[in-house]
Amino acid sequence: MIMTTTAQATKTAPTTTPARSIARLLLHGGTVFALLALIVFFFAMRPDVFLTFVNVKNILFQVSILAIIAGAQTVVMVVGDFDLSVGATSSLAGAVAASLMLTGVPIAIAITVALGVGLLVGLVNGILIAVVNLSAFVATLATMTSVVGLAYLVTAGTTLFDLPDGFNNLGQGRLLNIPLPVYFAIVISFILWGALRFTTIGRRWHAIGGNVEVSRLSGVNVRRARLLAFTIAGLVSAIGGILLAARLGSASAVQGGDNMMFSVAAVFLGMTVIKSGASNLGGTMIGVAIIGVMSNGLNILGVNAYVQQVVTGLIIIAAVTLSSLKTRQR
Amino acid sequence: MRIKFKIAALAAATALSLSGCAASASSSDNGKPLKVIAFTSGNQTPVGAWWVKAVTSKAKDLGWDLTMIQGDFDFQKMNPAVESAIGRGADVILDGYTDIASIGSIVSAAKDANIPIFAMDSSTKETDGFAVNITTNQQQIADATVGALAKTLGDLKGKTVMVIGHDPHPGIRMRADLAKKALIAAGATIAGDDIQKVKSPASGRTEALALVADYLSAHPNGLDGVWVGWDDAALGASKALSEAHSNAKVTGVDATSEAIAQIKAGGNFLATIEQPWPKILDKLVQNVSAYQKDRTLPKTKFEADDTTLVDSSNAANITPSDKLG
Repeated sequence: MIMTTTAQATKTAPTTTPARSIARLLLHGGTVFALLALIVFFFAMRPDVFLTFVNVKNILFQVSILAIIAGAQTVVMVVGDFDLSVGATSSLAGAVAASLMLTGVPIAIAITVALGVGLLVGLVNGILIAVVNLSAFVATLATMTSVVGLAYLVTAGTTLFDLPDGFNNLGQGRLLNIPLPVYFAIVISFILWGALRFTTIGRRWHAIGGNVEVSRLSGVNVRRARLLAFTIAGLVSAIGGILLAARLGSASAVQGGDNMMFSVAAVFLGMTVIKSGASNLGGTMIGVAIIGVMSNGLNILGVNAYVQQVVTGLIIIAAVTLSSLKTRQR
Repeated sequence: MRIKFKIAALAAATALSLSGCAASASSSDNGKPLKVIAFTSGNQTPVGAWWVKAVTSKAKDLGWDLTMIQGDFDFQKMNPAVESAIGRGADVILDGYTDIASIGSIVSAAKDANIPIFAMDSSTKETDGFAVNITTNQQQIADATVGALAKTLGDLKGKTVMVIGHDPHPGIRMRADLAKKALIAAGATIAGDDIQKVKSPASGRTEALALVADYLSAHPNGLDGVWVGWDDAALGASKALSEAHSNAKVTGVDATSEAIAQIKAGGNFLATIEQPWPKILDKLVQNVSAYQKDRTLPKTKFEADDTTLVDSSNAANITPSDKLG
């Protein structure tokens, strides 16, 4: 049996030239190579700074909140949708927690309510998309608009500050000299990775992302699975927003709004990491690392912020092109 | 015959439009309330929100017929709304915190309808588009904040100071340029050789935090001061300094309650600037009243009022800009 398979494989395997192998390697590992190339480049430019403990810690601290929100985005993108409201939901959750704490509500209750708000926003997204059958773009654009308005109402257009030390410690505290948000990001990423890889719902999400009709015909409750994906995305975004408020010691209606764009970029970057070209959490984390390393490295080299933005866009274009090449190859 | 008819039609149209203008200009003289259009794109900022409330309150007190248009930083929405209100007729237009560069179509429509625009913090120099624009003195802001850094750091010569600005805001852009020049003139080195740009005010705090943290990663203890064009970003810079255990000092502009609290606490945040918006609004309303009385327009089209440096000596006596009303 084994011999037969081997013989068939040998018979059908296309002849590969070294150039073709390198092209294939680049195609499959382009994003990882890009990350390694960036690290090597910045290390070569500033060997005294770039890979020091202080700077690596700095990069991890800067990307920890984005990693959490990108994790939320990955869940919905695995299902084949996307969520434009993750940044707004995170801002609202931070604002709700802050405003409650400022009125004397205990930290734990304020955080629970804020998580509930995130869960609710995710649930509304899920209902609009999975039950009412609106497109994810329209539905999450609409909820993003309303959620930003709600955040303005909660904060009265101001920045809420003077939050309790116990709360601020969640974002500013350290364990073994590593900021706590880094640990939170790692734990949440592992939980999401495990859920996507080892649970029934995770496999259903992947199946729906691969082909909705086939999943439906295979007996998957597509509606419920999509609803759950958006609800979890809302909850995880809220965790990101609460940690951002704790990290800055303040909350405003627009805080962390750019996390939406970067989270989508990270997932797209990560889609090129695996052979199938689908969203995956490991890839997303590599995407987050690329964004963080690039921003930090360019800042260290003193590159103008506008140039940084252009470079970020170009890298995303390159990643999406790689991803589409892969899909075509499939 | 046809030419005569055209001339007659033109004369009739001119007479009608002139009588329309006259009627518009004298509507408030006939016991009718002054018809005022007020607009701001910055109503979602604390100061912008205060302005909306303050103008509405003054309109009530003075018996104006007020149309208040709030733009939410969306000029595609705000400009047509203001132009439509102009089309319905008005005596005066008030512009709060909306830069002239973003309202070209409103300025043209107002000129065509012969309605003067009285503006507040809407350009950094004199412009024909406004009957008057009253703002704050950017040179004085730069001098006061750089002076505060110099006073605390001893001498700026040989000191390294980061300047953080945001180009799309004309006021911040201007004062950041002025601060950079003042710092160089005092012998300071500008970190990164140029003004560090924050791309979006929404993420100003996190962007400034990353800029300062990354700079300190590359140059441990490499900063003596950070000059920032507005308080929200200054608070991010201050956080980065405190997390890096740096003694460098930060200055901002706006006098928000959070900045004032940090100044009082005596950490890295050294000083900010209070801009006298309520006084400036009072002055603007006086100009409108003079115009209402006898159509007198202000003698100068541009005024730049002095501001107050807020440091530990007077922080307790300052009303924060986000608590104006």
